[in-house]
Formats: sequence, C-alpha cells, structure tokens
Amino acid sequence: MGDYKYIGKSVPRIDAAEKATGHIKYMSDLSFPDMLWGKIVRSKYPHAKIKNIDTSKAEQLPGVVTVVTWKDVPGLNGFGIVIPDQPVLCEDKVRYIGDAVAAVAAETKEIAEKAAELVEVEYEPLPIVDDPIKAIDENSPKVHESGNIHLHTKIVRGDVEKGFEEADLVVENTYYTGRQEHAFLETESGVAKLEEDGTLSVYAGSQYPQRDQIQLSRCLALNPRKIRVVSYPVGGAFGGKDELTIQPILGLLALKTKRPVKIVLSREESIISYWKRHPMTLKYKTGVKKDGTIVANKAEIYADTGAYGSLGGPVLNLSVEHACGPYRVPNVYIDGYCVYTNNGVAGAFRGFGVPQSTFAMETQMDIIAEKLGIDPVELRKKNALRRGDTAPIGNKLTSSVGTLAVLDGIKETDIWKNRDSLQKSDPKKPWIKRGIGLALTYQGTGLGVGLPDYGGAILKFRGDGGFIVGVGIVDYGQGTGTSYAQIVAEAMKCSIDKVKVILGDTDLTEDSGPTSASRGVYTGGRASVIAADRMMKILKEKAAKILDVDKNDLIAKNGTFVIKNHPETNLTYEQLALELIKKEYHLPQTEGYFLMPVANVKIKDAFGLPHHIFAYSAHLAKVEVNTLTGQTKVTEGAEVVDGGIVVNRQGFEAQVEGGFVQGLGYGLTEDTKIEKGIFKTVNFSTYIIPTAKDTPAKIQTIPVYDPEETGPYEAKGIAETVTGATAPAITNAIHNATGVRIFKIPATSELVYTLLKENEKNENSH
Amino acid sequence: MIKELNYHRAKTLQEALELLDQLKGDVKVLAAGTDLVVRLKSNMVKENHILDITSIKELKGIYADENELHILPLTTHSEIVESDKAQRYASVLLDACRSVGSPQIRNRGTIGGNVANASPAGDTITALFAQEAKLKLKSKKGERVISVEDFFVGPGRTTLQPNELLVDIFFPKMKENETGFFKKLGQRNALAISVVNVAAKLEKLKEKNKFQRAVVAFGAVAPTIVRGKNIEKALEDSVVDSPEKIRYIAQLAWRVVSPISDVRASLKYRQDMSINLLYEGLLELFNNNWERR
Repeated sequence: MGDYKYIGKSVPRIDAAEKATGHIKYMSDLSFPDMLWGKIVRSKYPHAKIKNIDTSKAEQLPGVVTVVTWKDVPGLNGFGIVIPDQPVLCEDKVRYIGDAVAAVAAETKEIAEKAAELVEVEYEPLPIVDDPIKAIDENSPKVHESGNIHLHTKIVRGDVEKGFEEADLVVENTYYTGRQEHAFLETESGVAKLEEDGTLSVYAGSQYPQRDQIQLSRCLALNPRKIRVVSYPVGGAFGGKDELTIQPILGLLALKTKRPVKIVLSREESIISYWKRHPMTLKYKTGVKKDGTIVANKAEIYADTGAYGSLGGPVLNLSVEHACGPYRVPNVYIDGYCVYTNNGVAGAFRGFGVPQSTFAMETQMDIIAEKLGIDPVELRKKNALRRGDTAPIGNKLTSSVGTLAVLDGIKETDIWKNRDSLQKSDPKKPWIKRGIGLALTYQGTGLGVGLPDYGGAILKFRGDGGFIVGVGIVDYGQGTGTSYAQIVAEAMKCSIDKVKVILGDTDLTEDSGPTSASRGVYTGGRASVIAADRMMKILKEKAAKILDVDKNDLIAKNGTFVIKNHPETNLTYEQLALELIKKEYHLPQTEGYFLMPVANVKIKDAFGLPHHIFAYSAHLAKVEVNTLTGQTKVTEGAEVVDGGIVVNRQGFEAQVEGGFVQGLGYGLTEDTKIEKGIFKTVNFSTYIIPTAKDTPAKIQTIPVYDPEETGPYEAKGIAETVTGATAPAITNAIHNATGVRIFKIPATSELVYTLLKENEKNENSH
Repeated sequence: MIKELNYHRAKTLQEALELLDQLKGDVKVLAAGTDLVVRLKSNMVKENHILDITSIKELKGIYADENELHILPLTTHSEIVESDKAQRYASVLLDACRSVGSPQIRNRGTIGGNVANASPAGDTITALFAQEAKLKLKSKKGERVISVEDFFVGPGRTTLQPNELLVDIFFPKMKENETGFFKKLGQRNALAISVVNVAAKLEKLKEKNKFQRAVVAFGAVAPTIVRGKNIEKALEDSVVDSPEKIRYIAQLAWRVVSPISDVRASLKYRQDMSINLLYEGLLELFNNNWERR
C-alpha cells in the first residue's frame, strides 16, 4: 500500500454538514410553483381480474386535474430491469395488493387522496398462491400466463451422490429466511416536471438515473434525451430504489397535466407496494470427511419473488453462486427456483440473495464443526478458497481472495481473544445464557459475466484550480461521494476541499452503471482515476509550456506544479487555470471510462455467473439469551473484512457497523408478514427494526486485504458483504449459548423460547 | 388523510368541563396526541370535535400529601421518570414510565392520556394497578373517585362519562417496607408495545420472605389490565424462600390471563410469558433480598 494523503485515512463526509443541519433538499422536500399532488390507487385484492375501472366520480371532485389509467400510458405499459412484466397501471389483472390501478393528480394532497378513494374498480377475485414451493405445482393458480417459475437455475459439478457416499458425516437441514424490508428513512418520493423545452424532469431518489431514463422512455414513448432524471440526494436505498417505483406514474401525470406533480408515499404504502428481500426456503445436504474436508454440497433453493420479476432472477443466481460459501467443494448440486406468488414484490436488497444462502451454509458449517469437534475457524480455514482455486460452481478464481485473511483476522478480535473467559451463565441471573458465534461470507462485486459493467466519470478543471467530478453512481448514505473526492484529490495531488462531486444526474454525470452490487467505489472510483490521469497529463503539458520546461521535469504536489531540482519555481493549479482562461478561453475536461474485468468463463444456463471479483468477511457475535423469554441480546459484534484497500477509514467503520446492525435485524426481528396476500406488518410499530437500545455498544471493525490490482488504489467494495453473515453469526451464538439450533430467521424471542421449551421437553423425556 | 375536525383549546379546567358538557360525547380529548394523532391519520376517530387540554396548567404536576402521591394527568412520562417523589413513593410506576416508547414519546405523552386511552397493553396502567391507584373524574356537575381497577371496561373503553375529565391520579405512597417491580417484554428494547407486562408491589413483613400484602397485575394478556388475586393470596400466605416456590406461585398466572394471538405474539407465548416475567421479576427481587432497585 502506497503512502497516501487521503486514501485509507478518516475523512469527514463531504455531505455531512448539509445533512446534519438539514439544509440538504431531498426529493420529498422539493416544491415548484403550480405543483399538483399525485396519489396512486392500488389493488384491493392480492389477485383479481379487473372487470371495470370507473374514474368519473373522482374526476368530478373539485380540485382534481386528472385521473389516469392504463389507457393513458403512452408507451409500453410495463417496467422491470430484466423483463418489463410489471404494469405501470394494471389493465386486466392485479397480482398483488400493492399493484397500481389508477392515479390521480389534484390541487392538494387531501383532494388527491379523496379522489383516489372515489375511483371505482370492479374486481373478480382469483384464487391466490402464497407459497413458493406450491406455486411450482402445475395446478396452482397462475400469477402470470407463462407460469409461476420465473427462473430455474441448476448447477451440477462432480457427483454429489458419490460425494455423500465418501463422506463420514452428512448434515441435512431445511432453512427459512424472512422478508426483510429496506426501511430507508425517505420513502419513495419525488416530483416530475415538464420543462419549457419539452424535457421531462424526474426528480426521484434512485440508484441508477441512466437506467431509469431508458425505462421511463419506453413507458412514456419519449426520446430518452427528452427525459432528465435527477436521482441524488436519496434518503437511503439499500437496493430498494434500484428498480423503478413511482417514477413512471409521476412522469405520466406530469405529461398529462403539464404541471409539476409530486408524490410522497406514506410508510404504509411504501411497505405494501415495493421491494423486499426474497424470502427463501433452502434445503441443504452437506457431506464432510472426518477431518472436516467438504466433499459434497447439495442445495435446493426456492425464492419467493412475489408478483413480478424485477431483479428476482439475478437475486436467485447470486444465491446459487454463493450457496456453498467461500469453500472448496468438489461435488456440487444446486437447484434454484425463483417463483412468482401473490406475496407483494421482492427485488434487490443489499446482499442480493447471498445472505439467505449464507445463513444456511454457515449454520451447516457450525453444525459440522460441533459434530466433528473441530474449531469453527479451523474448519473454515481447512476448506477456504484461495486464489487460483476453482470456485464451487466451476470458475477459476484469478482475482483477490481474502478468505484466509479474514479468518486469520478473527484472532485479532476481542470476542475471539476473550472467548475462553466467557462466563456461559450470568452468575446473578442463571437463566441468562451467553455464547459466541462465527460466520463467514463472500460477495461478488459487480454485475457478473455477460452484463455490461463499466464505470464512467467526467472531470472538469475549474477556474479556482479545483475540480468537479461527475459520476452517475448515487451516494445514498454509503459515503461513495466522499470516496470519489478522496480518489480525485489523491490522483490530482490537490486538497480535497478543491474537489466538488456531482452524482446521479443524467444531464451532469457520466453513466457509471447501477449503484448496486458493491460496485460504486470500484467502478466509479477507477473511472475517476482514469479521468484524473488524463487530466494530469494535460495539465502537466500546459504547465510545462507556461513554465517553459520539459513536462517530465514537473512534479505535482499540494495543488502546485514544481520543477524538479528547482522547487522555488512553481505554478499553482489556480494560476494555471487563470492562464488557461486568458489564453485558451476554456478549461480542460476529461472523461474516464472503465470496463470492469469479468470472468473468462460463463457458467452454463446461469445468466450473469460467475463473478470475477469478490469481497470477503468474517462476522462474530456475542449474545445473551434470556431463557425465560427467548430474548436475544447481542452484547458485542465484530467483523473482519476484505474489501480491498479501505478508501475512507471512518466510512469503512460506519458501513461495517451499519451492515452488522442491518444483519442483526434480519437475524432477530425483521420480517414483513403476509397472510393470504395481505400485509400484516405495514409500519415500524409491527415491522421491527433494531433501535440503538437493541444494538451492541461495541462492534469491532477490522480491515484486512488481499491486493486487488484492478481496483482504484486496490479497493474492491464492502457494501454488501458486511451484512451478509451477521444473522448466522448471531444464530450460531444462540446455539452456543443455549444448545438450541436456529433454522429459521428471524429468530424472534417467541421462536427461540418455543425451541428452548421443546428442547427441555426432549431432554426430560430421555 | 385526517378528516376535517372542529378544534377547541381549553385554557382552564372549567373551560374544558364546559366544552365537554356542550359537545355531548362528540369529542376526543387531546392530552398530547401520541396516540390520538396516529388514530386520526388512520381514520379511526368517529368524533367530530377535538378538545385540546394541553395548556391547562392545573392538570400538570406531582405532589405528595401525608399518605398519598398525586400525579396530575398531564404530567409526562419523562417528568415522572425524573421526579424524586416518584422515585421514592412510586418506583413501580417510575419503571413503567421509563419503559414507554422512546425519549420523544416520553417527553410528549402523558400519564392521563395513557390511562384514558385504555389500551390493554398500556404500560403505566399495569403499574397503576400495582400501586392501587384511584382516579378522580370531574364534570361540570360534580366529581367522583373510582379505583383504577373499576375504570376499564374493555379495549379503549372506560367508565368515563362523556362530560367527565380525568383530573387526578393518586395512590398510597410506597413505604420503606414496600418493594416491587415492573417488567415489560416487547419485540425490541425501545419503541415497543408490550407483548406482556407485569407489575407487582409487595409489603414485607419483619419475618424474612413473608409478605403482609401483595398486588400483582398483568398487561396485554386480557381485554383490560388484570389483577392476579390468586397470586397475591399465594404470596401473602407463603414463605417465599426459594426459586422453586416462586416458580410455583408464578404458574398461577395461568388462571389470570386470557390473551389472544396477534401480529406481535401468539396466545400460547403470552400465556407462558405472563408466568415467566412474573417469575423473573420476583426472582430478581428475591436474589436482591427483596430490596427494590
């Protein structure tokens, strides 16, 4: 690692002050003269035919400007990142309770809400399908005409049956995971506005403005150049704003009324209407030798994607790719189904299918370690993938592999160091049991093979000798913008105060792909480095001319060009800018475009697989379980993370802590309950996210790294892996504390209590 | 969307009672709004008038007389938590107030609002049962005093008459020889609605592990808060000198609670938790030599 001024240091967020003071204007804060309020009419049934839609009463309400239905959609009445199977406004059928049927624009929010209630929709309810395994059955009600299997991915390598025969121990279990809600602070909100030149501006927080632009273009039958999408700032996303949400309806209402239209979803509407983490059922069978060597792993995975595809297919495929964990597994059989049901909609969510299979695999590993009497770290090290190994699904790993580094790092954590002195029971309250748990995970960075994956950055030299970098990536809280500022300041050898970052705007930034897949720093950062190197070359040439020296004799330092061996002669960037304005009437601008390296093989019948670059992390949790109530309190956490070189140390710490807490919620409390297609947990009174009082005071964050030469300053990305194995670390700790094994998350107090009680009964009957 | 309402703001108790008399039941009283505003937004309020009593100074404060502690209904949960008098004379209630919602809710929400709202899961109500509280209800025509136990009829329903306002909550000051606890089980440690809560107050005898008097109440396990008279009798009649005995007594909660299943917990779990929370609370006291914290 080089000697850097900014890379690897703790740099305050460039947006901290405006966020802390409330000066920043989120999309839900925007207001324009003559603005209308929009309201979406949503389905009353989880599955029904639409017989008739009557908007006349709503239209007659004073203050209503327009009511739109499917008839008003000028382009394709469908959206979806992979296939556009979700209607903007439903025509003949609704497939989940949040399906949009009509929309109103009115002078006030209250009138819009009233009018929405007056839209009369005649439904013929249809039988629903709410179980992904049942949905596969030919005789189940069909959510889509094409059948309920959205995607089936099967990967076979070696011979698992032979492997199980050779195994000394076979562990077989079925796992269930919950439907996690992103719970971003800012619900789906925004304003669409028709500009005087006919351009449609759509201000709505999202993760990929350029893709929103082309999806909107298709729905609205509008030249994409006539659509400007501004998707930054965003009040949180976590994957939930990767797909379109309210934008097509906003656009439709603005085009129809020719006035600005604003929509702000209530928490309840947000939870019912949009994406969740896919609940999965995972049937696992793992075979190992006595010494712990894995010989075979079989997994059947059923992912409930709900009513529409969105990113359900790729989510399943990541679950499949990572199903065996970062381990050497010679015989592999993974059979994955992504299935339509009438259970809301599921889509992208930090981790993207990996936390589900990690929960299953890491519980299997914990069981194996216990049964064979092997230390859980040693068992994992024994099987750990290393650079040059063949991954379980068959591709050779040629990039950085940090499995051993993160496992070795565990020994540096306080939880591990103090594990022998842990008192298993609270001496004063013997019903409180303590334990620690470990889990390992990895996460593909980027979109995978076969998908165009690139970073783009535009860099402008400014009159004050500073720079503006524009990247299409969005900072929705991760701190990516600050990382870009650090990267540009480092590459341009200038102060970070001199770098202005523009994000998420189709007019002002380069397309840099989606802000997802832990790829923001890697792609946009690398593109920024390329743009900066070009800029440096140009500035050096121009400075050399002005100073009348050879450009190779110039050194850039602290925003100044100095001449080698003549440090007294120099030219600051500001002086250079002024000279250029005087002489050339313009300042240089460069672009950086970076094609992400992808694997040189494709996995047959598995779109997007394999990934080429991976981040690795080991998670540790220390818990106290109250055996009287089943309540689990995580008293300490730790993560050892290989996401390449850390760009911003305090950003790293914050993101690891945040990832751990989100994983804690996933493991213990978070689940959007849907019964017969109806949501039972529609706000934060019943959908339980952790509060400060539910999180450990100490979460240790330890970065380690295996060099990844292709990244900007050898950085990879950490956004997802840091949440991926927290849940199994906690459930393994619950087992360590109580002897009860958790096969279903969230491990609510009631679930843990019920298992403890069953355990007690079984013990008594022996 | 909140429907259109007629809003009245009373500055004095007299003014409030006058308005209540005129509006004849078509009115919801706003003490702080932590619950009412949520209900208004969900279109769950049928009344057409709102009577805002938040600025009535005479309904706010804590004072002690010779035998009793008075907590006026507009006192916030935070004010109770910070009160020395509550610390000394009402430790069970204080613990309950501490467990309510979040700092924001405790700063805003009032004990009177919590009582009149009559949620079967109301945290302070269970504690008031254990403190053997009485409520003073006042109307333009007169006033009456009712025991907290007789006040509640069902979820959200009380014996408060349309023209009456809750004006005082009072109960015997806890004595040196009295101990007790409030315990709450929620789905998380803050901003949680009780899955089960339990409160107990015990008057100790000189004789070790023996009690002159016990009061035990449970919340979120019946249509209203309920008292466990059988448990109280058992505590008064036994020498409570071992975890096993405490366990045995706690199991009597079976005969007290009649919970339901909802999105937060199942009937079965609530039943077991009534026992276990009481057990845990008593055991903690026992291990602490029956001294309240």
